[in-house]
Amino acid sequence: MQLFPRSLNYLPLALALGTGGLGAGVTFGIWYYFSPKNTQVGYAPEQPIEYSHKLHADELGIDCRYCHANVERSQEAMIPPTQTCMGCHAVVKPDSAKLAPLHDSWKSGNPVPWVRVHKLPDHVYFDHSAHLAAGVGCASCHGRIDQMEVVRLDTPLAMGWCLECHRDPTPNLRPKDQITNMAWTPSEAGEQLANAEVHPPQHCSGCHR
Amino acid sequence: MTSESRTMTSGSKVFWRSLEQKENPAGLAEEAKGSDVVKQTVDASDLTRLRRRHFLTLSGAISTLAGIEGCIRRPVEKIMPYTEQPQDVTVGVPLHYASVLSARGESVGVLVQAHEGRPTKVEGNPDHPASLGATDMFAQAAVLDLYDNDRAKTPTNKGAARSQAELDAALAALAGKLATNGGRGLHVLAEPSLSPTYLRVRKQLQDKLPNARFHTYTPVSDANERAGTKLAFGRPLLVNPRLGEAKVIVALDSDFLMTESGSVAAGRGFSGGRHMASAADADPNRLYVVEPSMSVTGSNADHRLSLPAQSIGAYAKALAKSLGQNGVSLGGLSAGLGGAELPGVPKQWLDAVAKDLAAHKGASLVLVGSRQPAAVHALCHAINAALGNAGKTVTYVAPLDADEPDHFADIAGLARDMAAGQVETLIVLGGNPAHDAPADTQFKKALAKVPLSICLSSYRHETGAACSWHVPRAHELESWGDHVSRSGAYAVQQPLIAPLFGGATDSELLAALAGAAAGSPERDAHALVKATAAERGAADQPSWQQLLHKGVSARNDAQVIGALPLQEPAVTAALSALPAARTPSNDALEVVFLADNKLLDGRYANNVWMLELPDPITRITWDNAALIGPSTAKSLGIKNGEMVRLSGAGGTAVEIVAWIQPGQAPGTVGLPLGWGRTAAGSHATGAGFDVYPLRTSAAPHFASGVQLKKLGTSYPISQTQEHDLMEGRPLAIDANVDEYKSTPDFGQWATPDPSATPLWKTQDYSKGPQWGMVIDLNRCTGCSACVIACQAENNIPVVGKDQVARGREMHWLRIDRYYIGEDADQPEVAFQPIGCQHCEEAPCENVCPVNATSHSPEGLNDIAYNRCIGTRYCMNNCPYKVRRFNFLNFNQDIPESQKLMFNPEVTLRFRGVIEKCSYCVQRIQGAKIAGKREGREMKDGDVVSACQQACPSQAITFGDINDPASAVSKARAVDRNYALLSDVGTRPRTRFLGKIRNPNPEMKG
Repeated sequence: MQLFPRSLNYLPLALALGTGGLGAGVTFGIWYYFSPKNTQVGYAPEQPIEYSHKLHADELGIDCRYCHANVERSQEAMIPPTQTCMGCHAVVKPDSAKLAPLHDSWKSGNPVPWVRVHKLPDHVYFDHSAHLAAGVGCASCHGRIDQMEVVRLDTPLAMGWCLECHRDPTPNLRPKDQITNMAWTPSEAGEQLANAEVHPPQHCSGCHR
Repeated sequence: MTSESRTMTSGSKVFWRSLEQKENPAGLAEEAKGSDVVKQTVDASDLTRLRRRHFLTLSGAISTLAGIEGCIRRPVEKIMPYTEQPQDVTVGVPLHYASVLSARGESVGVLVQAHEGRPTKVEGNPDHPASLGATDMFAQAAVLDLYDNDRAKTPTNKGAARSQAELDAALAALAGKLATNGGRGLHVLAEPSLSPTYLRVRKQLQDKLPNARFHTYTPVSDANERAGTKLAFGRPLLVNPRLGEAKVIVALDSDFLMTESGSVAAGRGFSGGRHMASAADADPNRLYVVEPSMSVTGSNADHRLSLPAQSIGAYAKALAKSLGQNGVSLGGLSAGLGGAELPGVPKQWLDAVAKDLAAHKGASLVLVGSRQPAAVHALCHAINAALGNAGKTVTYVAPLDADEPDHFADIAGLARDMAAGQVETLIVLGGNPAHDAPADTQFKKALAKVPLSICLSSYRHETGAACSWHVPRAHELESWGDHVSRSGAYAVQQPLIAPLFGGATDSELLAALAGAAAGSPERDAHALVKATAAERGAADQPSWQQLLHKGVSARNDAQVIGALPLQEPAVTAALSALPAARTPSNDALEVVFLADNKLLDGRYANNVWMLELPDPITRITWDNAALIGPSTAKSLGIKNGEMVRLSGAGGTAVEIVAWIQPGQAPGTVGLPLGWGRTAAGSHATGAGFDVYPLRTSAAPHFASGVQLKKLGTSYPISQTQEHDLMEGRPLAIDANVDEYKSTPDFGQWATPDPSATPLWKTQDYSKGPQWGMVIDLNRCTGCSACVIACQAENNIPVVGKDQVARGREMHWLRIDRYYIGEDADQPEVAFQPIGCQHCEEAPCENVCPVNATSHSPEGLNDIAYNRCIGTRYCMNNCPYKVRRFNFLNFNQDIPESQKLMFNPEVTLRFRGVIEKCSYCVQRIQGAKIAGKREGREMKDGDVVSACQQACPSQAITFGDINDPASAVSKARAVDRNYALLSDVGTRPRTRFLGKIRNPNPEMKG
């Protein structure tokens, strides 16, 4: 007595192909959609003060290093202390409601609780000054911050992405005086940098201690 | 594996690590598996962490959450910048401040590294004469004491917390009352002070309150040294040995390399005297040690004699007489010295030693330790004078406080007054007399009779809890102060951080008693110190800044004294008054109270780094033990780990675990002080046994007539000497001077490099910096400062006694201690510090399934912690056993204050990852990046590893082996260098320089 129709003979094959296809699809989906390129890029959290880089860095032309002063000296670029902001804003727009948290911070001594956008895991030790000494521009990793009203994560900052540059740094290098020039594009100047003495580490202890 | 291979041989020598291994080499494997000395307990909290159901719940939840696509945002993390950034601070770059720390009667100049306003690491100050750029383990561990969460946080009055304002009011009321009657009834008890500011403030208080009494007491001090010089020369002086100048050194019960004052400078001097660049100019010094208990100094001796402490004086007399027979006359003292022999002491120990000393007039040195009575010290000064050493290998300096009284007499008198009700107000500044005052003074009982007592200390300990008021004391890293070192160097102590728990300093409390109001400059330590500095040459702001910057004053006001006339009648009288030495027997044992190698007198009892550090000699962690020599233990029938009771000698009986210690003099029991605290903090409780009850003021250093009774119970001891057996291979290779001169490359003979062609393409190490290290075993004294420095620099966790018993201690750098020789009662000792050898052909790298450990182009063996999945295959494969695995999360439940202590440059490891010495890769990277910033190459000396920097003897050299001019390249070229286990073919980057012993050919055996 036949319980099962003949068409069911193809069931194991269909299941195998379906599982394989589903597995491949899930794997691909996780590989792409869960990578930092998808999950991290575009992160633009709300900040306690609506600070606009477009206004300050682009329209007003303030150099990155005026506020992020440690970037050439230390591993941390440093978010500026309230004191730096008050250097201008003690007299510029002193009554603005948007700047109320700033003045509160200055009066009370409590820091402004900025939300971190560019974050590397705790086991990664990144040094800003080494990158600047090599000639990596701010825009290479931070994107066109000078066009952002709200700071946004533009690059995945994943280890694979870092290694792409570490394996071949020359496309991302620029002359030392153009580091904070966000609009710089490589031209013939790129050729002379090809011989630059830049040897980024590719071994584990270069970034992991 | 045959039994012969268990005890390894180097030439004709037999190396062994413990008595069990020596006597039962084949059976050790079975013993190590289920040793009944160690209790196999599983921590209850382990069970809760690993509950299966809990684990499944979590894993289910996590996998569900992970599946939700696109809705997961990482948690919001805030950045908190400064509001007003301090002027010198560059965020991310640590600052260094010069300061001083005190330990064991000496002040050590330090440079403290501070990250964003919190001190994280202590280094030596190269300009300070007592540190010369190095530190002892106590200075390294100071940072942990600073952040200790068990420190008192508020003032307390009769157990109830009070505010600072209430304390100030109480002090003001007290000051007012004292001012009316000139301080009658006020007694101030303090530790001996190195601080001119404190002495100045105390003098002011003394002048203001003439009826007040001031006392000094600390259980382990240089009181006998001062009494000795006073007896010999008429006034108390401090002895400053110049060990580097001495070719023959005789140490009588003097552990000058470890627990005596000035050990850092002593280590430098002594090791300098053993320095040899090659076999041709090998002319090391020779050290004879006569002591009751095996000490670090005794471990470094060329000849060592175990003698009961009570016989040291007789030995000194016989030696002096023997010197007289060798042409070194002791003048008026000769008559009262007795014979030139001593029963029980081999004749060569008097003849040959005296001959050696006499042959090196002006280049020899006799040292006596702090346990020996003043008469023995005076005799030693007489011997040095007769040998012409005064002014050459030993100088004398007037102490800061010439009026310091005899401690034991002082505290006994104070306790008597307290018991008689004559003390109305007692101020205790530091110290812990309720715990460590001699037992016969009954200090704690007498303290109950004092109506008002104020204790100033870091912890609310035994004394603090017994006093009416307890005031938190500011740690040395958070207070203003100053010190004068034993050599007279004046240095300022500056705080690295505002007092974490609102503590006060000694000077401030005394100033309060003099009536200074809170917040006034008379009560501000900063102003007080500045005033003292002004008197010592830093009167204006630029010179004050310079003093703070440099850390030590260029002006040394101390008068260095060379030769002085001896007061022969007084010394003769004192020598004849010395009690006759009796030979201890099993019914009348001698106990020797030892300053513990790690806790000293107990002040570091809550410091987990000290608790977990394996004792340099016994290798015991988390406990102390009564040290009994092998022959005595055999005749008494005592085994390791047995509980015994010691009684007699006037004090209360003490119950303590027994430990068989090779080198302990027969008939004597070594008792390390400072353990068994009940109120020192959470970590100290349950650690070790308190031996202070046995200590009386009549016999505070050693006592005879002690009975030992076996209690029939056992106590588990966690010690590391059995861990990581190295299976009979030549490791700590040494040679005599003659052997060295005839075979300079003896090290490489023992472990030849196979020079085999490898199967795979080897990495090209010809370009760029290649890191290497050389450890000179001839200079290493075994003091373990490097181990603590590594722990501080690399955030190495503490695992606790139970985990150490399972072999899970986490120290990246360990010091292996081997005993040498057939005689268990008189062994030689060898030390070998071992960290990761960074093998060029590393066996660990090939076996990692996830490539978490790899080789950097600069020769470092790297670990990426986040990649490690914890198979521990690498740990298994390492022949040196230097890899450590985080079996548990040792970094959980860290108190908030202690989180400030971690070095931000090094990852904090979680459960399940392997870690090991990284050649301080964070320092290498830091130097490399600094070079990139400044556009230059790294030069030799830019990278200094933590262990290298801390070592007082400069035993470790580190640097670029591709640079032929670097110090490490030169050290690698020294003829006595060898690589550990090089016949295995790992090609380690760390090399060792073999130890050279310098025996006297006239001393046989």
